Formats: sequence, C-alpha cells, structure tokens
Amino acid sequence: MKTNNNQKTPGLDCGFGSENKALDYAFQLVEEAAPPKKREGRDLVVCSATEIPEGGRRTVADGKRSIGVFRIGGQFYALLNVCPHMGAPLCVGKLHGTHRPSEVHEYDPAFHGRILRCPWHGWEFDVMTGKGLYDRHGRAATFPVRVDSHGDVVVTV
Amino acid sequence: MKNNASIVDCDIHPYVSEQCPIEPFVPDSLRLAVDQGMANRPTHGYSNPFGLIRRDAHCQSARQLVEEHLDKFDIAFCVLQPPGVGVSQINNIDVANGMAEAWNDWQIENYLKRDRRILGSICVNMADPPAAVREIRRIAKSYPRMVQVIVPGESRELYGHRQYYPVYEACEEFGLPLGLHPGQEGSLGSATPVGRPSNYFEWHTIIPLTFQAHTVSMICEGVFERFPRLHVLLVEGGISWLPPLLWRLDKNYKALRSMAPWLKELPSEYALRHLRLTTQPIEEPPQKGQLAQMFRMVQADRTVLFSSDYPHWDYDDPVRCLPADLGDDTIRRIMYDNAFALFRLERFSEEGTRPTV
Repeated sequence: MKTNNNQKTPGLDCGFGSENKALDYAFQLVEEAAPPKKREGRDLVVCSATEIPEGGRRTVADGKRSIGVFRIGGQFYALLNVCPHMGAPLCVGKLHGTHRPSEVHEYDPAFHGRILRCPWHGWEFDVMTGKGLYDRHGRAATFPVRVDSHGDVVVTV
Repeated sequence: MKNNASIVDCDIHPYVSEQCPIEPFVPDSLRLAVDQGMANRPTHGYSNPFGLIRRDAHCQSARQLVEEHLDKFDIAFCVLQPPGVGVSQINNIDVANGMAEAWNDWQIENYLKRDRRILGSICVNMADPPAAVREIRRIAKSYPRMVQVIVPGESRELYGHRQYYPVYEACEEFGLPLGLHPGQEGSLGSATPVGRPSNYFEWHTIIPLTFQAHTVSMICEGVFERFPRLHVLLVEGGISWLPPLLWRLDKNYKALRSMAPWLKELPSEYALRHLRLTTQPIEEPPQKGQLAQMFRMVQADRTVLFSSDYPHWDYDDPVRCLPADLGDDTIRRIMYDNAFALFRLERFSEEGTRPTV
C-alpha cells in the first residue's frame, strides 16, 4: 500500500488525524481513482480484466462519480463508491467474511472475502448484490459488469 | 383523583418487625448457621442519612400497608419487593438458599394470606441456579400469587450469561416475569467500574448503571432469542436511561452484528418486546413535555408499569406523579393495564378489590 503521510491532504484536517490509516487509505484511493480507458455511451470501459487480480479491486472515476469494481471468484462486480449511510467511500473498505444468523451461541461463518465493510462505520455490504447486512432495506447501488470481446471490464452506468 | 379505582403498584417494600419476624421462617437445619453469622453478606456502605423510610409511612405489617397505602389510594393490587431480594449476595451458598425459602414463606404468611390485593415476589439465590429453580418450582406450584421471580441488580455475573438459563427456563415454564431490583450495588465490587462513589447521593443516582449492563448483556447474549416468552421487569430504576442506550445498541448492531449473529432483529426490538419498566423514581426534567417524550420513546403505553416504592423516601404518589400530557389512555395503561397483562392478574381479579384484614 502506498502512503503519503508526509503530505497533508487539503480539506482533511478536521480531526480524523493521521493515526486513522484506514481513512487516509480511503481518501487516497478515491483521489487516485483511475480514469476509465474510455466511455462509449453508457458503457464505461474500466481496464483489462487481467489488471484486476482475484480478490482485487479498481476504483474508477466517471466524471464526479466514483465506482468500485471487484473481482471475486473470477466474476466482476461494480458498486457505487458511496455508502448509503453517511456517504463514505464504500469501495475502499476491507473485504471480510461475516456470520450468518444462527442459533444462540452458535457461529456460522459465511461469505468469506465477499462482504465489504464500510471504511467509516463498519456497516456490512455484500459485494455481489449490494445488499446491506444491517437491516431490511439498506443496499449499496450496483451496476452491471461484463468482460467484452477484447477482454476489457465494462461497467454499464 | 382520576386514577383511583384502577391502580397496580409494582414496588412495595415490607420490613421485618416485631409482628413480622423472619426467624420463624428460617429452615430448622440452618438456624445454628444463621446464629453463627453465616447469613451475613457484604454491604456497599451507603445509607441515606435522612432515613430510608418516609417519616409518615410504615410497612411493618400487612395492616399498616393496607391502611396507609392500599385503602388510601384504592389500589387494586400491589407487588412486594421483600428484603430477600438480595439473598444472592449472602456469603454462604447453603444459607442463601435457605434464606430465599424463608423470605418467600415470610411474605406468604405475613402478607399474602392477610390481604388478597397483596402479591409477592419469589426470592431466589442466583449464586446457585439449580437451587433457584427448585425454589421457583416449590413456590410457583403452590402460590400463584407470588407473581414474579426477583433478582438484584448487584450480581456476580451479567444476567445474559448462560449459567442463569435454568432460572429463565423456569420463569417461562410458570409464566413468571423476572424482576430486576436494585440491590446493594457496590457490595460485591465497586458500585461503578471506575471507583467508589463518595456518598449515598452519588450512589443512588447511578443505580441504573447495573440495569444498563444487564440489559445490554441479556439482549446481546441472545437470552430473548433463547427464551422468547421471557419478560424482564426493571424495577426502581426509572425509565429515561433506556432510550439512549437502545439508540447506541441499534447503531452498533449495524456494524457489529456479526459478533452476535443470533440477533435477528434490532436490539431495540428485543428490548421493547421483552423489557418492562416501572416508573419510580420518576425523572423530573425541567421543561413540561420532556418527560412525556421520554415515555413515548420507550413506547410506554405497553412497556411501563406504575410503582410507588412505598414506604421509601423517594416514593412517587400514584395520583400526581405521571404528567397529564401523556394522555388518559396511556396513563390508564401505565397505572393498571400493563401490570394486569404482565402478571396475568385476570387470575385474581374477582377477589382483588376486597380487603380481608
């Protein structure tokens, strides 16, 4: 992970402090979001599929909007890089597993590497569906993704 | 005097006296042990320098309770909180079990048999859960007017822990709510996790600390998933501490749910379904309307039950204590309906209004 601790990011000097590495990392990734290779109508050509390794991700800037593309189990998934809770850059959160609802004092680990935990408040989202795992209605916005005939990852926005 | 004919008072404190000594109820085999000091328990060291009991009140016999309180306010039912609430803190486990029996028989003989409006609380030794279950069975089978199991706020473990499951199972089996009453907070440890209060003023104010700890523990450990018919009545802690606690719980649930994956609903949903609160000592915020807001936040029309804490110094008057802006319907529910439902008082309602002393 690249760090820029020596360089203070303008506008971030509001009490989070450089101790909070997760947040620094979050903003860093957002600000470094790569431009897409090209935009064709509603198709955003992100990069070659080979550039995103298994378990990896790429954030891509589409105008003022940021979108995260994840590769899990060989498939690609795209989420709007905004947490529906407080607007945090959701797609720079860590990927975790979680526990399925279970009987009392039983633990049923599930969805390893598929649950995106928001970098700010820790709310859980399933990358594959965008569904929030904290209540009935919450979800992160998702976009259709495909790999085209050139081997490029294409997000339809 | 609008509520007069329909009051259930969930917190009445009877005391030992010349007319009502405890000694005859101590099991024969334990009398020597009690004489040898084995019923002693640690104390927290705080007392009200101006007196624990109202200067104009007594509660040394059923007759006094009836004349000074039940008749005066035409109270339909009241629930005793006997000194035996704290038997769990007695140093010796065998004597503690025996004293639980003694306090239960003491209530039945001195109060329940004297007036049909008086209901009792089953004292149990939570330091010995199997014995607690035996005592619940003994009493619940023969005296349905012992309407709840009562345990103290001061405890050796948080009440969410599974060693207490047998007690909750017995509560469910007999349809008894688990009452939680302050009891010698600070006698087993410090009254706060960060040191000892300097006086009774501080100590009395922070009593809801133990209630908060037990509430979080019971919800998060899944007690209400495991015992879906269990109700917990939080007596004598007031109510205003609960809403902000539930907001914290619900907020944390969204990030930390995975640490208690058996929670299938928001913590506040378990709380408002399974917890009940009594009113005393009712908070007295500075602005009109604020208290009614707090009541609405805990859905008081189904979760809050009236209590006076008679004859203690911080007693609440049945007629004056509730703010009128709660509305007549909510007030009626708090004064009567909610207790009627929790304790299933329809079992006793025919005989409930005529004193027999």
